[in-house]
Amino acid sequence: MAESAKDKVKYKILKALDVSGFTAFDPVIRLIFGEEPQKQLQAIVKYLVIPFFFVLACLWIWTWMGPRHKTKSGEVPTPDIVWESAVINDTIADREEIKEQDFLLEGVEREAALAEVTKEYAVLSEEVKRLKELVATAEAEKAELEAKAIGPIQEKHDALKAEYKLAEKERDEGIAAISEEVAAGKADTASLIAAIRDDGVATDAERAELSALKSQIDEIRSQKYKPLEEARKSYDKVADAQFFMKTRLEFLDKRNLTVKLDEAQSKLDGYMTDLASAGSAKDALKIAKRAVKAEESVDRLEGQEYASAVTIYHQTKRSIFTVFVGFFMAAFVAIPVGIMCGLNKIFMACLTPIISVFKPVSPVVWLLIFQIVVGAFFPDPENHALLNFLNELPLISSLEINPALIFSACTVAMCAVWPALVNTALGVSSIDQDHINVARVLRLGFWNRLFKIVIPSALPLVFAGLRISLGVGWMVLIAAEALSSSDGLGKFVWDEYQNGSSLTFANIIMVCFVVGIIGFLLDRMMIVLQRFVSFDGGGTSV
Amino acid sequence: MMTLKKWVTTAGAALALSSLHGEMLDLEKDELKFGFIKLTDCAPIVIAKEKGFFEEEGLQVEVIAQPNWKQLLDNVINGELDGAHMLSGQPIAATIGFGTEAHIITAYTLDLNGNGITVSNAIWEQMQENDPALDTDTPAHPISAEGLKPIVEEKLEEGEKLQMGMVFPVSTHNYEIRYWLAASGIHPGFYTSEDKKGFTNAQVELSVTPPPQMPATLESGNISGYCVGEPWNQQAVAKGIGVPVTTNYDIWKNNPEKVFGVNAKWAEENPNTHIAVVKALIRAGKWLDETDDSGTLVNREEAVRILSQPNYVGADFDVIKNSMTGYFYFQKTDKREMPDFNVFFKYHSTYPWYSDGIWFLTQMRRWGQITEPKPADWYHEVAKKVYRPDVYLEAAKHLLEEGHIEESDIPWETDGYKPATDEFIDGVLYDPKDPIGYLNSHEIGNKDS
Amino acid sequence: MAYLEMDNVSIGFGPPSNRTEVLTDVNLSVEENEFVAVIGFSGSGKSTLMSLLAGLQRPDKGEVRLHGSVIEEPGPRLGIMFQNYSLLPWLSVFGNIELAVKQVFPKFTASELKKHVEHYVEMVSLTPALEKKPHELSGGMRQRVSLARTLAMKPEVLLLDEPLSALDALTRAVLQDEIIRIWEEDKRTVVMITNDVDEATLMADRIVPLTIGPSATLAQEFPVTMERPRDRANLNKNPEFMKLKNSVTRFMVGMNKESKELRVDNTIQMPDIKPYDFMPPTRTSVVVK
Repeated sequence: MAESAKDKVKYKILKALDVSGFTAFDPVIRLIFGEEPQKQLQAIVKYLVIPFFFVLACLWIWTWMGPRHKTKSGEVPTPDIVWESAVINDTIADREEIKEQDFLLEGVEREAALAEVTKEYAVLSEEVKRLKELVATAEAEKAELEAKAIGPIQEKHDALKAEYKLAEKERDEGIAAISEEVAAGKADTASLIAAIRDDGVATDAERAELSALKSQIDEIRSQKYKPLEEARKSYDKVADAQFFMKTRLEFLDKRNLTVKLDEAQSKLDGYMTDLASAGSAKDALKIAKRAVKAEESVDRLEGQEYASAVTIYHQTKRSIFTVFVGFFMAAFVAIPVGIMCGLNKIFMACLTPIISVFKPVSPVVWLLIFQIVVGAFFPDPENHALLNFLNELPLISSLEINPALIFSACTVAMCAVWPALVNTALGVSSIDQDHINVARVLRLGFWNRLFKIVIPSALPLVFAGLRISLGVGWMVLIAAEALSSSDGLGKFVWDEYQNGSSLTFANIIMVCFVVGIIGFLLDRMMIVLQRFVSFDGGGTSV
Repeated sequence: MMTLKKWVTTAGAALALSSLHGEMLDLEKDELKFGFIKLTDCAPIVIAKEKGFFEEEGLQVEVIAQPNWKQLLDNVINGELDGAHMLSGQPIAATIGFGTEAHIITAYTLDLNGNGITVSNAIWEQMQENDPALDTDTPAHPISAEGLKPIVEEKLEEGEKLQMGMVFPVSTHNYEIRYWLAASGIHPGFYTSEDKKGFTNAQVELSVTPPPQMPATLESGNISGYCVGEPWNQQAVAKGIGVPVTTNYDIWKNNPEKVFGVNAKWAEENPNTHIAVVKALIRAGKWLDETDDSGTLVNREEAVRILSQPNYVGADFDVIKNSMTGYFYFQKTDKREMPDFNVFFKYHSTYPWYSDGIWFLTQMRRWGQITEPKPADWYHEVAKKVYRPDVYLEAAKHLLEEGHIEESDIPWETDGYKPATDEFIDGVLYDPKDPIGYLNSHEIGNKDS
Repeated sequence: MAYLEMDNVSIGFGPPSNRTEVLTDVNLSVEENEFVAVIGFSGSGKSTLMSLLAGLQRPDKGEVRLHGSVIEEPGPRLGIMFQNYSLLPWLSVFGNIELAVKQVFPKFTASELKKHVEHYVEMVSLTPALEKKPHELSGGMRQRVSLARTLAMKPEVLLLDEPLSALDALTRAVLQDEIIRIWEEDKRTVVMITNDVDEATLMADRIVPLTIGPSATLAQEFPVTMERPRDRANLNKNPEFMKLKNSVTRFMVGMNKESKELRVDNTIQMPDIKPYDFMPPTRTSVVVK
C-alpha cells in the first residue's frame, strides 16, 4: 500500500515534468524513487551530464575567445564580467532601496543609522585618499615604464624623420635640377618623369616606415599596465561606495522626510504664534498668508515619496507587464476575428488581403505608426482620466502606465495578432466533419454550435497560435522599447548602448540572457496551457 | 486650517500685498518629468535632482533619458515631458516652425562651450601633411580647417564629397562645424525649401548622427569627422579612432550651448512651478561652478560620479572626468587644461540672453533654414518670444532673498544683449543689435539687404 | 405506407464535367421496429446511403420519407451512429452524452438529466468510465459511448453506419450481442450498414445488398427468418443460417465478378513478389524517455 502511494507521488511528479516539458529530469526522479538505477544513471549521463558539459564547454570557449576578439569598444566580455555586471545592477537596485529606507527612517533609528553611516563614510574617505595615492604612484610607474619603452623608438623615429626630411629635400633639389636641364634642352623629359616617380615611391616608403614606428608607440601606450588597472578599479569601487555613503548621509539628514516635515511644521507653528500676536490687519494677513503656504508645504511633504531611480528589476517587470498587455490585446482581437474567418468564407476572403499585406510589416514601422496614432488619444497624458485611473490600481501603480507603454503594447499586439488569428481561423475551419455532423444531428443552434463544438475543437490550435504570438510579442517588445524609449528591458539595453561605458558590452550580454530566460519561461507557460486544453494527451490531470 | 486659508484669500483680495519673495512658491504642479540626452551638459538638471535642489523647491522630479533630439522635442510638445535639456536652436526653430512647429520657450541657459570637432586618424594625418605645423604631438591651437581644404578639394576632383557628422539640423554643432568650415572657405551647403538636408552647393556634406553613435560611425568610415558634445570626443581619443582638432571654445569663445526648454503653454499654466524649476537650476549651476580659493572646481568630481551613473550619462567615470574637471585630451599625448570647457554658471552664463537667440537665428538664415530674408526687427521679436529673462530674474530674486546666490551672480540691469564680440575663429564682429549686418559680413552664406 | 422509405433516390457528386453517380434509383422501405442490414463492398456508397437516411444529405432525385413526410434535415429522431464514433474529444463520456440529452430533452431537470445519462451509460456497461475522456478509452468503449449517446436521444430510427467495422473480432462479437440485447429490450426501427455477412445474418430481420458503385442501387433482398434470440455459439451448426449466409455471400461475390468483367481493365498487373527480407515488425517495448 505504501509502495503504491509512493508510486502515485512519483507519477504525479513525472507528469508535472512532462507537462512542463522538463522531461530530461525524468530519470532523476525515477532514480530517487529507486527505479532501475542502472538505466536511470545512463539516462542522466546521456541527457543531463553531457549537455551540462556541453554548456560548460561553450562557456569555456566564450571565456577563451572573448579577450582575443578586440573591438574598438573594448574586449568581448567574458562570462565572469557579465556576471559582475549583473551584480553591479543588483547593487544599484539595492542601493536605491537603502536610500528609500533612509529617506523614510524616523526618530532613534534614523539617528542610529546616521551615526553608523557617518562613521563608515569617514573610514571610506580615508580609504579613498589612500587609494588615490596608490593610483597616482601606479600612474607614475606606468608613465616611467612607457617612457622607457617609447624613448628609443621615439628617438629612432625622430632621427629617421629628420633624415628623411633631408633626403626629401635632396630629391626635390635633384628634380629641380633635372627640370631646369629639361627646360634648357640638356636632358630628355623621360628622365624627369622617372625622377618624380622615384621621388613618390621613396616618399611613400619613408612615410610607411615612420608610421610603422608611430603605431608601435601607440601600441605601447595603449597597453594596459596591470597594477594601474587594479589600483584604478579598487579606487573606483571604494570611491563609489564613499559617494553612496555621502548620499545616504544626505537622505538621513537634510533630505530625510521626517526632518523636512519637522522643519516645515516648526515653521508653521512659528507663524501661528506670530499670527496670534500680530499688530495690524496688514501684518496679520501677511503672516497668515505665509502660514497657509507653510501648511500647504507640510501637506505636500506628507504625500512625498522617494523618487527611485529605474532599476533593472523595474524594467523587467514593466516589460513583462507590457508584453502581456499587448498579448491580451492581440488575443482579444485575434480569437473572435479568427473564429469569424474560420466560420465564414466570405469574411475570410475579405480579410485575406489585409492579413497578407500587414503580416510581414516590420514592428519598427508599426511602432512609428502607433506612436503617432496613440499619441493623438493622449493630448495631455498627465491629466488623462484613463491613465490616472490605471496608475491608481493597486498592483500596477508602480509601473507608470503612459502613452509610451500603450503604443509599445499596441506594437506588440499588432505583430502578435497574426499567428493567433491565422491559427484560430485554421482551427475553426478545419473542424472535423464528424463533429459538425454531430451538431447537425443534435440540431445545435448557432451559439451552442460555436461554444460547444467549434471553439472547443479549435482550442488546441488557438493556443498553439497564442504561444507563437507571445513569443513574437516578446521579441518585438524589446525592439519597440529600445526604439521608443518606453521603460523596459529594451530601453535598458538601448540606454546602456548609449552610455558607452566599459560595462556597456557586459550589460548588453546580461540583458541578452535576461530576455532569453524570460522568453523561455513565457514559452513554457504557454506550453503548459496548451497541454491543458489539448484533448489528445496528458496534461489535464496534474 | 481651512478657515485660515479662506480668510487669507478674501482678505488678500481686499488688501494689495507686496510679493512675498523668499517664501515657498504656490506650485501649480509638483510632480515633473524632465528629459535629457546623454551628454555631460545635462549636468544642471541631474544635479538639481540628485543634490535635492528640486526637492527643496517642493518639486518631485523624474529625469528621463531620451533617445534623440527629435523625440525629446516631441515629448515636450505632446506633454509627456514637462521640460527638457535642449539644443539652443531647438526652441527657436520650433517657434519659427523649422521642423516641428510649437512654441517652446527657455528661461535658463544650461551651459557654455563643451563641444569639439573630431576628425578620423586618416584625415588628421593628411591634415598634418598639408600643414607641417600640425605635425607635432602638441600643435598650436586654434586649428582652422585650412588643413582640411586640400583634402576636400582632392575629393571633389574625384567626384566625391567629404562626409561629416553633426547631431541635429538646428544644433549648435551644426552651426559650429559650418562656421569652422566656412571660415576656411569650405562650403558646407545650403538648406533650401526643397533641400531639407542642407546639401545644396556643399563641398562637405553634413549628416545627422545621434551623439552616442558618432564614434562607431566614424570608425566604420561612413563619416570622416564630426562635431559633438562630450563625452564623445574624448571617447574617440580613448578608443584611438580619431583626433579632436578643435573645440567650440576656439570657434566662438564662450558660446551658448544647451538651454532648458519648456512648452510655452506649460509655462503659462504653471508660472510658479516654472520659477521654482529655474531656481533649482540656478542653484545647480552655481554648485557645479563652485571653486575654492585657488580657483579649482570643487564639486565637479562629485558631479562626475553622479553623471557616470547608468541612468544619467552612464559613460565611464574617467572619460567624463576629463572634460568636466577642466581637461581635454586632443591626443593621448596632448592633455590640455581647459578650465572653461564646460561653463555652467560663470560669466552670467545661465541668463537667457536675447543675443544668443539672435546669433542662432542669423545662422539659420545664413545656411538657408530660414528661407526668406527677414527684417532686423523680426530677429529681435523672435528672440524675445523664445528667451524669457523675466522668469529667470524672478527666480533669481527669490534666491537672492533666500541667500542662495549673491548680487553679483546675476546681470540684473542688462537689456538682454551681450556686448558685440569678435572672439570668433575668423575674427568677424558679432553685434547682436545688427543681425543683418552680421549676416552680410560672412563670405559664405546667404546675405540679406 | 412503410415507416421509413427511400423512393427512387439518386445522388452524385462532382461538377457536371466530372460527375460520379453514387446511388441511382434506390428504393427501400423499412417497417416499424424492423432491423434491416444493408450490406455492400467498401466504396459502394453505403455511407452516402446512411447520410441520406439521416438527412445529412439531400438526394438529387427522389425522396426519403419518415412516416410519409420528407426528411429535410437531420435531427434527433433519426439517431445516427457514425462509423468513427464522432465523440467530442474534449468532453468526458458523461459530457458527450449529456450534450445530446440536453439538446433533445431541454425540459429535463439536472437530476433527471443525470439519471437519464447514467442509465444509458449503464446500458452499454461503461459506468466505471463515466468521467473518462474519449482518448482514454479503447475503440470498443468509444463505440459504446457513441451507441449510448445515440440511444439516449431516444431516436425513432436507429441508423448504424458500420458501427463495428473498426473493431477487433472479439470486441465486435460482444458489441453485436449488446446491440441486439438493447434492441430487443427497447424495440425500434434499425438500419445497419455493414460489410460483414455474418454480422448481417446474425442481427438483421432483412438483408439488403447494395450493388457495386458507381451508380449503386439496392439489389434483391434476403429475409432472415431465423428465430430470435439467435444463439451465436450454435449458429454455424444452424443449417438455415449457413444457407442464408452462403447465398448472400455468393450473391455478393458474383456481383463483384460481374462488375469486374464489366469494367474496362486499366490496371497494371503487378508481379506477385514478396520482399526478400520481410519480417513482421517486432514490438519493442518503449523505454520511458
